[in-house]
Amino acid sequence: MEKVQVTPVRSERVSSHVVADFLIVLLLTFGAALMLWVFLLAESWVTVLGLLALFAVALVWVQRHPQIEHRIIDAFRVKRSMAVVVGTLIALVFPWLLQGDTYAMHLLIIGNIYAVLALALNFQLGSANIPNFATGASYGIGAYASALLAIHFGVSFWLGLLVAAMVATTFGYLLGLPSMRTRDSYQALVTIAFGIVVHQLLMNLEWTGGANGLVGIPAPTLFGHSFNDPIELFGYSLPSQGNFYYVSIALVGIAILSAKRLHNSRIGLAWNALRDDEIAARACGINVTWYKVQAFAVDAFLAGFAGTLYAFYVSFISPDNFTFLVSVTIMTMVIAGGMDNTLGVIVGALLLTMLPEKLRAFSDYRILFYGVVVILFLIIRPRGIFPQQVRNHEH
Amino acid sequence: MHDVLFQQLINWLTLGCIYSLLALGFSLLFGVLQVIHFSHGDVALVAPFVALASIQILAASLGANASWLVLGLACLVAILAVGGLGVALDKLVISRFRDAPAMMPLVATVALGIVLRELIRHLYPEGSSPHAFPAVAEGSVSTPFGAIPMISVVSVLISVGLVLLLLYVLHRTPAGMRLRAVSQDREAARLFAIAPGVVFRRAFFVASAVGAVGGIFLASYAGVVRFDFGIQAGLIGFSAAVVGGLGRLGGAIVGSLLIAAIETIVQGYVPNGTSYRLVFVFALVIVVLVFRPSGLFGANRMEKV
Repeated sequence: MEKVQVTPVRSERVSSHVVADFLIVLLLTFGAALMLWVFLLAESWVTVLGLLALFAVALVWVQRHPQIEHRIIDAFRVKRSMAVVVGTLIALVFPWLLQGDTYAMHLLIIGNIYAVLALALNFQLGSANIPNFATGASYGIGAYASALLAIHFGVSFWLGLLVAAMVATTFGYLLGLPSMRTRDSYQALVTIAFGIVVHQLLMNLEWTGGANGLVGIPAPTLFGHSFNDPIELFGYSLPSQGNFYYVSIALVGIAILSAKRLHNSRIGLAWNALRDDEIAARACGINVTWYKVQAFAVDAFLAGFAGTLYAFYVSFISPDNFTFLVSVTIMTMVIAGGMDNTLGVIVGALLLTMLPEKLRAFSDYRILFYGVVVILFLIIRPRGIFPQQVRNHEH
Repeated sequence: MHDVLFQQLINWLTLGCIYSLLALGFSLLFGVLQVIHFSHGDVALVAPFVALASIQILAASLGANASWLVLGLACLVAILAVGGLGVALDKLVISRFRDAPAMMPLVATVALGIVLRELIRHLYPEGSSPHAFPAVAEGSVSTPFGAIPMISVVSVLISVGLVLLLLYVLHRTPAGMRLRAVSQDREAARLFAIAPGVVFRRAFFVASAVGAVGGIFLASYAGVVRFDFGIQAGLIGFSAAVVGGLGRLGGAIVGSLLIAAIETIVQGYVPNGTSYRLVFVFALVIVVLVFRPSGLFGANRMEKV
């Protein structure tokens, strides 16, 4: 097992270091954006596999040379605000560079939805090490709640977003409470069972439309601008997917912000404490049950958000969108990306959403390939693409 | 009325025995390795496909009139092959996560399950569509209460026999003692010159082979098998093992019988029960775990600091 080294942030840094930090951050952010761009617009599978191989080689290289990894992490720590600004700008401009490719845009939106879901699960799996196989169920509850409200009562997307998140949170508490008595594999089974019960109920109840699901979810509007219309700006036009892209980016932003805020709060600290040693945490007066239930609630809340967005984006939902395998996929994203590492989780989510889609050249073999890639990543980089960092208490 | 009740009893017993064979593997592997082998259901459901393929090859070489021999041999080939498959998967993938946190092998084996299902789909001719599976036994035995289908008799008898054999091996033979030693304390067992690697391999072989028998009976009982049957078989087997208490073989059997009982009752007596079958099964799982957090027979571990 390799040990994580704590690299202290040096307060007096040599000026050449500052320039180097600046360059590292700039190069890596734009390099990542460029890679994503090429990946999304790649027509041939050779390019896709080439990029994947490049990525894998980079990972192996970094795995072999930990000092490079620490140097990069160091640079991002120092130039944090710059990285955030550059990242946000890239996220905002990115869809305009896709040459109106609606499929690439679709992949980005779905990728963002999964990023929100993976960040939601990360609160439990990453921060507190609670196995939860029911994120897909909370996602489904959110989607169905907002869709039913919109179809039967004409509730708008924006109100639906909040109400659905509330409903999902209520169910999150309902799941959290009984699973508190159990642990590890037993807890995993409680959440699996919950997910299957929800899926089967959606499948069989009359008012959820059974296996056919719900159709005709109306497109959201914002200040009179329907989400079915393209975005016009300075004479340039962005396909209607652009609307949903910006909402999904906003949701990812909210998820990242809550992840950071919670991580730096007492709650995040408590979660980490009970992840490392539950008994020690209890002995320090941390109400373990309470904090675990909170983790379930936060997970469900964000998953409800994602569900609403998905329902309104595709305007058609069926129980098949929210199966046990969806929960497993989300869990794979968190673990392959890097537990308790926000960036890693997002990269994991984007990669694992887009990869099977970009491998359509292999048509039927893509799921097989996907499974193999997940196993290989777990073996090559056992702590995830971006491993969890030791808490930095110096700022 | 008595006839219906009797038939339900037979259904329950058959289903319970088949589930036991699947659940035993989960429990055994968890007991030895403290690992949830999530693709165990998929491994088990490889067996019917190997058997189907072997039937075709054997029937061509032995002639069609030796159908009993062909079926028996095919099943034997499938069971041994799947036992070997279990060992191979451990060597290739699962063994790499021996010392990793528990979630890693869990996710890795979930991905392994995906790979197995997809391999069946692609390698078996027309793998996406359901394939008819022959009954391992035909006809029925008549009793004063009603007729018992032969397939139920065979699966119950073989399951009981296998369980007894497994218990005998575990508790009365040196190999079984070594396995129990490793499951109690891997390091201490090593000090007594027991090689954990060998024990792990044997455990994987036995668990997979027993699962394969369950997979064949499941396919035979349903009369049909499809590449994705492994998910549900795995989930039910895992649930049964957990409800009974992981690592407790007797618990796995009781858990299986309990889940089979709920399934049979719901299907027989609840209106529209067939569609709500899984809702009741997994609601029961939640209820059991709320009241018995370590399963019905799991030891309530007190952790020492």
